[in-house]
Amino acid sequence: MGQITLRGIRKSFSGVDVIHGIDLTIADGELAVFVGPSGCGKSTLLRMIAGLDRPTTGTIEIDGQDVTRTSAAERGLAMVFQSYALYPHMTVRQNLSFGLENTRMPKNDITARVDDAGRMLEIMDLMDRRPTQLSGGQRQRVAIGRAIVRNPTAFLLDEPLSNLDAELRGSMRAELAGLHDRLKTTMIYVTHDQIEAMTLADKIVVLRKGVIEQVDTPLGLYNRPQNLFVAGFIGAPNMNFFNAVAVDGQAELPGGLRVAVPGNGPVTIGIRPQMLHLADPDAPALTGTIRLIEALGAETVVHAAAADGTAMVVVLSGQPALRTGETIRLAFDPDALHVFGADGQRLD
Amino acid sequence: MAGLGDLLGRAVLWPFVLLARLIDLPLRVWQRWTGIGGMAAVFLAPTLLIFGVFVLVPLGLNFAYAMTGGTGILLGERPFVGFEQYGRLLECEDYTRRLTCREDQFWTAVGNTGVFVIFQVTLMVAVSLITALILNRNIRGRGFFRAVFFFPVLLSPVVVGLIWRWILQRQGLLNLIMVNLGLDPQVWLNDRFYAFAATIGVSTWAHMGFYTLILLAGLQAIPRDLYEAAEMDATPPTRVFRRITLPLLAPNLAVVLVLALIRGVQIFDEVYVLTGGGPGTSTLFLTQYIYEAGFASILRNPGLAAAASILMGAVLVVLTLLQLWLSRRAEGGRVR
Ligand SMILES: Nc1ncnc2c1ncn2[C@@H]1O[C@H](COP(=O)(O)OP(=O)(O)O)[C@@H](O)[C@H]1O
Ligand SMILES: [Mg+2]
Repeated sequence: MGQITLRGIRKSFSGVDVIHGIDLTIADGELAVFVGPSGCGKSTLLRMIAGLDRPTTGTIEIDGQDVTRTSAAERGLAMVFQSYALYPHMTVRQNLSFGLENTRMPKNDITARVDDAGRMLEIMDLMDRRPTQLSGGQRQRVAIGRAIVRNPTAFLLDEPLSNLDAELRGSMRAELAGLHDRLKTTMIYVTHDQIEAMTLADKIVVLRKGVIEQVDTPLGLYNRPQNLFVAGFIGAPNMNFFNAVAVDGQAELPGGLRVAVPGNGPVTIGIRPQMLHLADPDAPALTGTIRLIEALGAETVVHAAAADGTAMVVVLSGQPALRTGETIRLAFDPDALHVFGADGQRLD
Repeated sequence: MAGLGDLLGRAVLWPFVLLARLIDLPLRVWQRWTGIGGMAAVFLAPTLLIFGVFVLVPLGLNFAYAMTGGTGILLGERPFVGFEQYGRLLECEDYTRRLTCREDQFWTAVGNTGVFVIFQVTLMVAVSLITALILNRNIRGRGFFRAVFFFPVLLSPVVVGLIWRWILQRQGLLNLIMVNLGLDPQVWLNDRFYAFAATIGVSTWAHMGFYTLILLAGLQAIPRDLYEAAEMDATPPTRVFRRITLPLLAPNLAVVLVLALIRGVQIFDEVYVLTGGGPGTSTLFLTQYIYEAGFASILRNPGLAAAASILMGAVLVVLTLLQLWLSRRAEGGRVR
């Protein structure tokens, strides 16, 4: 079991509010990802769940039990730190068994558990080394192993891959996903990298400035972002936004193309770069002047400026014949539009 | 243009400018004569001169004096006696009985210093470790307490000795308090046991701030998240201390241990002011013995004092090498 519920969690550090009321449930066995820009309070939230920090107000429940006042030691959770926090003076084996030695577990069982984790993470040949004698990726495995041997109710991981190079990050990400599939233990994974969030998560919690902006599945967030922040944060390259005014269910994009929109008054119309394609020569189109072309082979990324100067990015498949300075004419499926009101919330 | 401030500045700078002009010419001449490489010698000379006059020459003189006899002060007046002074220090009829030694005071001082070092260093390491551990926590007024424990380090040893004499003497502060509390006053500094304990306590009080600082620096270098990882693992506090804090603090502890040993062997000034070595010879330590043998006793014997100081120096050299070895090893094998 490992259901985690947060109710009205707030946290302030010496009078400065950092977390402004979080309500959230993470189901047993779920891999939830907290994602948001640096400094938005992801670590603080995770540390409160771990029991390393106390919320200023609000309650934390694990499997229905209020653990707000319970010490970190008694919550039965395991944490993987961003810095790994391996004990530098101990061998890998000692690092892995240290936590188990605090329980009354017999020596043989400890050895067996450590060996199991070691085999699972393929670090058996490193057991007698010290952390300084390991590469970044190997240290990461040991840190994860130290969490696994404890057989915790849930894993908490704070930006576990941020100290690895891009290639290693990709392969460790896949391994973590595999690990979660095998263990089926609840995991809360913190990252500022939306790609990590999209690829790993069952459920993504988007945070900004200590507030939850949206909770949904990766595709749910991608397809129906509830506000401008989420729309801009999820997806790469970022969504294009155009300011417009809606009158009688119609709004005009820069260059004069009219589209149907819900609502009235000032709106922001968003469209993902991948949803734009070259328009037929005589069809109405969204036009722009090409500023920069990035030909990647399979796709071509075009940076352009709309008639009113708004910057936009287009991802076209293949290698269309385009030149910088030319006018580009773009079409899109009206269903691909995301429309947000003046308050930044999604309309419709 | 030339305002008052400008004039004032010139007036202040004038002596320095004059000095610079004065040494400018000789330096130019020297450089023309020896080339640019010779300038290094010029700049090193003052330091080498001071080091030579106050360290190297006395060191050499000390070896020379240790080989001579008589009561003369000038080396020229002193007859050569070879290793007789060392023999005199180390000669005993029965090595199990101190009083059969020719220089029984020397052995008294050696014994006292040994006992002092064992107890004082143990106490010093324990007290400064505990203080550092407490100051490393998030207690109220942490900065204040850090300052409080460091202040005695800044005091001159003579002041330290005097302060505690005023507290511990027969009509001192401590007895005053005891009388007011209805307790019998004690002759602290005239009691063999209390006086010896006072030398240990006072020297610990005077220097612990320094060692506390070294240990505090070591504690603060231990990453916080190691403790948080241990907390997540439900590690009991005693185990955290034994398995995380102590091993990671070991290099600093080694430095503290050896430095305290070296300074313990050299103990002199504050004890001399506090007890003068008394009562009797119960707080007579090596440095005081050397001082008295060479300068203060009626039959002053500089040769004997020189020989004793060379023996003590040998012990200190061994301790210093130990310290160098430990700190090198700590640097090499450190993981942080
Ligand atoms: N111990 C602390 N004391 C004061 N402010 C803190 C503390 N920890 C975090 N903060 C502040 O809380 C905010 C959120 O921090 P954090 O949770 O570390 O962000 P994230 O992990 O999302 O990058 C930041 O503005 C940070 O400065
Ligand atoms: Mg963080």
